[in-house]
Amino acid sequence: MLSAQERAHVAQVWDLIAGHEAAFGAELLLRLFTVYPSTKIYFKHLGVCPDEAQLLTHGQRLLEAVGVAVQHTDHLRAALSPLADLHAQVLRVDPANFPLLIQCFHVMLASHLQGEFTVQMQAAWDKFLTEVAMVLTEKYQ
Amino acid sequence: MVHFTAEEKAAVVSLWAKVNVELVGGEVLGRLLVVYPWTQRFFDNFGNLSSESAIMGNPKVKAHGKKVLTSFGNAVKHMDDLKDTFAELSELHCDKMHVDPENFKLLGNMILIVLATHFSKEFTPQVQAAWQKLTAAVANALAHRYH
Repeated sequence: MLSAQERAHVAQVWDLIAGHEAAFGAELLLRLFTVYPSTKIYFKHLGVCPDEAQLLTHGQRLLEAVGVAVQHTDHLRAALSPLADLHAQVLRVDPANFPLLIQCFHVMLASHLQGEFTVQMQAAWDKFLTEVAMVLTEKYQ
Repeated sequence: MVHFTAEEKAAVVSLWAKVNVELVGGEVLGRLLVVYPWTQRFFDNFGNLSSESAIMGNPKVKAHGKKVLTSFGNAVKHMDDLKDTFAELSELHCDKMHVDPENFKLLGNMILIVLATHFSKEFTPQVQAAWQKLTAAVANALAHRYH
């Protein structure tokens, strides 16, 4: 559960991303695939070397889902239930991969926000994304 | 042995030359202690770690952060020989400090995040990948002598 201040930090970070989900999503995926190449196995449909258009499309989908989570930090389980089903039954992304995506998210935010990516912001965002990952993998077993 | 390409070495070395070790070291260790509070278990004698501002301003945290990052500079100089370079430190972390090697990965991740705040667009996916490879290799080297 996020405190009021943590929710405020999450909203503050989201202000940067809202309206630019495609660009941020594409950068996130590019960082993920470059730094952790094994994650590409979950995106075989994007080809060996996904082009910018594919990254933008899929990146937008990913970040729009994060946006849903941001709007529903108080009831993540309900809001993300269909996505949790999808991950458990169809995508079956090994849970070990979520921390890799989260790390890339932090690096991306840090590179855009620089000094404004304060330690409190990082802590709140980390807690939030970790909760999202937990909800998405909760129906796995 | 981990093999770094010429490009990876160049990415690491050129960025490292611009790093303020004292400043970045303090930030890295401070962020580790705030974002992953259980890591504070190794620093009982560091005084006030009761709040985020206490941690980030704590002089012992800053000093130790500088020490840790200075040691990391040694990794940058010996990227082809990390296991030997960190053999003694590995034994120290196991026998004297009893640090769970998982923490080396957490610290490595923190180094990348702080570097990204400082270097911004220069911290491209390729640069991030090179640094990720280095911090992972250092983490392995530090864990190598555990028994």
